[in-house]
Amino acid sequence: MTTDLRTDFPTREALLAYLQETFPESAARDPHVSEIRGGRKAAEAQLDQIDPLNYGRTRNHLAGKVTRLSPWLRHGVLSLREVRLLVLTEGYSAEKLVNELAWRDYWQRVYVLIGEGIWQDREPYKTGVRAEEYAHDLPADLVGGTTGLVCMDSFVADLHETGWLHNHARMWLAAYVVHHRRVRWQAGAIWFLANLLDGDPASNNLSWQWVASTFSHKPYIFDRENLQRNTDGVYCERCPLARGGCPFDQSYEALEAKLFPTKTTRDYADEDGRGSYQKDTRRKGRY
Amino acid sequence: MPTPVPLVWVHGDYLDPRGPALAAHPESPAVFVFDDALLEFYKLTFKRLVFLYECLLEIPGVHIRKGEPVTELAAAVQEFGCSGIVTVASVAPQFGRQVVALKVQHRLIVEILPQPPLVTLDKGEDETLDLKRFSRYWGAIQRRAMDPRY
Repeated sequence: MTTDLRTDFPTREALLAYLQETFPESAARDPHVSEIRGGRKAAEAQLDQIDPLNYGRTRNHLAGKVTRLSPWLRHGVLSLREVRLLVLTEGYSAEKLVNELAWRDYWQRVYVLIGEGIWQDREPYKTGVRAEEYAHDLPADLVGGTTGLVCMDSFVADLHETGWLHNHARMWLAAYVVHHRRVRWQAGAIWFLANLLDGDPASNNLSWQWVASTFSHKPYIFDRENLQRNTDGVYCERCPLARGGCPFDQSYEALEAKLFPTKTTRDYADEDGRGSYQKDTRRKGRY
Repeated sequence: MPTPVPLVWVHGDYLDPRGPALAAHPESPAVFVFDDALLEFYKLTFKRLVFLYECLLEIPGVHIRKGEPVTELAAAVQEFGCSGIVTVASVAPQFGRQVVALKVQHRLIVEILPQPPLVTLDKGEDETLDLKRFSRYWGAIQRRAMDPRY
């Protein structure tokens, strides 16, 4: 007869000590524990905090009224349907939030169709860079949070320590990994899955592919102005590169010329294609 | 002899303590298996494990095990004298493979209950939705998504 793992813990510390013994490989990999708690009670407490009206207006900002429900939605502690019905029946005008819930549903539906294919490029890169030119592994300074870019290093620290990142930070970090460091999106995707409490192969991988341009008609890039505006400049004001050397402090045209020097119009011509890169004026979503 | 009940298979894609399988079978033993191979494949960090474990601690009476899920589930069916397995659907490819193995190799009855849909669609519509880009999908469901009757 198989032995059950324990379920009687007087404190969180006792639980953590037991799990460190039971899953030593995982604890050795990265010992951080998030302040975000698992379980239905914590999910309902977070549900009480959502602000659907201000969500649509402020969600792009790192301090915006995002729901932070993703860890519980990912593991089915909350259902997309119950969150949708809650925001609709309370009389909110919450189309943007429902639209974001639909993104997760969409990724799940695509996962049904393509299965393990989420690990393969869905389409060719539209960056002018050949797939084999992207590095296989993440650079050590990136994972170690020592790039010298205060924004990126802070996002990496948050990812490792809390297991949660605002969606905009995910997009900026992914664009930095794939387009500035020229690393294949799969390396970033598995890194996120290991760390994000809401790590879901479908939402995660297909979002990385969206940034990379292998599941969208053009690559996603951002400029410093966009990052600074959506963070109130909290990273830039601490960054030694803010007065010179910031790789994002350029016009979109200059960034494109630098990142995608061999790109041709053919790389981005498709049904939706207008312009050659996804400027950060609209966002693919998450909840 | 009491009538055998199905074993409720709780998995990481549906951990609501009031989920469909648990709600339909309050008398059944419930089992969750930490999949050693999956933990290794995704190099799951400790904070993710802690989050999952805290979710499980709020599911009354759940038996938490560790190993290879199909083997563990088949053994648990024997151990508890269950009639088969009932669980909630997951889109993960490994879930599909595990269900097939339980049915074919272990000759178990596996009942899969649907997750609540985001939006109630017409019968058969799931198969005909255009999923090439999100915009097409959203265009197809938008009106109903904003209407709580669906």
